Amino acid sequence: MRHFRSLLKKDIRLLVSGKFFLMSLGCLILYTLYVNFGYLRFVNAQLYNVYLYDPVGTQAAVSELMQRVSSAEELDMALREDTNGVGIDAGTGTVRILMYEGTEHADRHRADYALSLLRPAEHGAAETIGSNTPEQKARKEITCELLFFEITAVGFLGMASVLFKEKSMGIIRVHAILPLQKNLFVLSKLVIFLLSDLLFAVLLSSLNAGLPDTIALLPAILLQTTFLSLIMALAGLICSLLLKDFRQFTLAYLVLAVFVATPVFLSANTAVKLDWIRFHPFYHLYMGLKHAYFQTSTPGPSYCLGCAAAIASLFAAVQVLFLREMRKEI
Amino acid sequence: MKGLHYQLKSVLHDKFCLMSFLLPLVVAAALNTVGMMDFSSLGELHFGILEHDLPGQTITWLEQYGPVTAYPTQKDLEDAIKEPSTNLIGVKADGKAIRTILSGDELDLFRQTADTLPALYEQRELSRQAEICVLERPDVMAKFHEMFLVVTLIVAMFMGCTFNAMNMISEKEDGVALINEILPMTARQYALQKLAIGFVLGCLSAIFTAAICFRLPPVKAALLLALIVLSSFVSALIGLLIGRISDTLMVGVIYIKLVLLVFMAVPILSFLVGIRNPLVQSICYFVPSQATFEGIMDLANGGTATAIRDGVILAGHCAGWFLLYLLLSKRKRMHASLT
Repeated sequence: MRHFRSLLKKDIRLLVSGKFFLMSLGCLILYTLYVNFGYLRFVNAQLYNVYLYDPVGTQAAVSELMQRVSSAEELDMALREDTNGVGIDAGTGTVRILMYEGTEHADRHRADYALSLLRPAEHGAAETIGSNTPEQKARKEITCELLFFEITAVGFLGMASVLFKEKSMGIIRVHAILPLQKNLFVLSKLVIFLLSDLLFAVLLSSLNAGLPDTIALLPAILLQTTFLSLIMALAGLICSLLLKDFRQFTLAYLVLAVFVATPVFLSANTAVKLDWIRFHPFYHLYMGLKHAYFQTSTPGPSYCLGCAAAIASLFAAVQVLFLREMRKEI
Repeated sequence: MKGLHYQLKSVLHDKFCLMSFLLPLVVAAALNTVGMMDFSSLGELHFGILEHDLPGQTITWLEQYGPVTAYPTQKDLEDAIKEPSTNLIGVKADGKAIRTILSGDELDLFRQTADTLPALYEQRELSRQAEICVLERPDVMAKFHEMFLVVTLIVAMFMGCTFNAMNMISEKEDGVALINEILPMTARQYALQKLAIGFVLGCLSAIFTAAICFRLPPVKAALLLALIVLSSFVSALIGLLIGRISDTLMVGVIYIKLVLLVFMAVPILSFLVGIRNPLVQSICYFVPSQATFEGIMDLANGGTATAIRDGVILAGHCAGWFLLYLLLSKRKRMHASLT
């Protein structure tokens, strides 16, 4: 235990000197600013505006959602500015609908919707069965994405930078001749990265997803963060043990960031569903985290067992590689 | 000249630099050949219904507005509605009418559509009494496609900073920087050689990318070339600064990523949000890539006036960054002579 404590202390010092914690704090501040002052403003899609040109007043009772314009030119101008809008030209006696082309289905809906505003009817509100408001949804979604990105990309990079530094300082060589259990070396790193990721998850969620929501969701989020953090830290260790130097590692990181993360984000957050995505392991990890934020489903035993098995096999692989590395060093 | 030859040799041995050089080319080729993914389904309405709940003609009526998916049980339907990544509108029979179900976290467009859908259904017989005139508009996606191409080009240009920064940092790490100090080479020669490397490779990468992406008449191609040359020079200068201030590869990589992120994010955001405020617009121009982006977009859309103005702004950037570099090296020299 004493050995483990001193290893922990050494790793913490290394991370502090490598400015890892400072970088995490910087990321936290940057993300929080982005979510609160940037992202939420972009997410908005209004229903199509409907503009009515009716100089002789043929349309008596129109909905208050309709915007009246005074001339045909003004109608053209309004549509050119707002290409999703629909114009109704009642100037010639008959009703004519003007709009810029969209998709086939959407066009039909826009036309029928615009016409329905000429005959205002009582309409109720749709039944609501979910518990999130649009803002809550946007906040949870972006927080989930940022947390996933931070752990997969930045945690991965951080682990590698520490290991390469230790390699260059000769710590692995020193460790090979120390009378310590060999897995303590890996364990102490995992513990630090896990704790820092958990702390990051707590802070990021409570600052961005709303404190009252976060308290209820925290156990589920922390469970998913634990899985993800351990898997990524071990993957980072494997890559940095296999690759020669940090430069090669950054290439692996680039591949991971571009080719691994993009399809996952695309499938998980938009209606674009790729058929092969269920074979992508990161998709399941991401969905696990997303389910935790939205409480849409609890992780089943097969998912938990799968994660545990992945962690165990990655750990075994790290052990083998680490012993090989030590033998090489002696 | 001989020094430059050695510098180029050492950069070309570096896989990271080679990859940085090829990445924009690969992305541009992919964007050009594969084309854009079909995102048109994103703005569409999607409906979810229960099996054996709605009559056939109602389903046909719904299908004219968007795809309809039938779910076997109430729970499946509710789960699909609650699924946060989609904006599915649930539709159920309500006597002769219909009623709609939402999860409540949808954007306004989907909420209002769901609210008004039952009224639309009631009026379905009356609907088609108007003449519908659909005006053609340029493909909305084409605009985004163009944006992606220009951003790829910007990445290619500003990759220039990667070459000399990585080269300088790895020299520091390997100790070559110390050897350089005793070689008969002045600090100015060293800086010029490194600048030339970032500039030449950044330029080449951008020119190849531009050749893949754009087909322009000669005058505009010349303007594009001018923009590329100026931007590559700015990025080479920035690379020189990064190489100077970062001591380890890790720190260097972080700086480069930050610079690339800012250089990509500012033009993309200002393009998507459509900034009108002149003050914010001029603040955006403090990031060199903004001028490049606006200029190339203008050229791609057939104009030249903005491109010329942006060329002048970029020339200003070149001068500004160069002065900053000179100032910093003068300071360092003074600092060194004091100690």
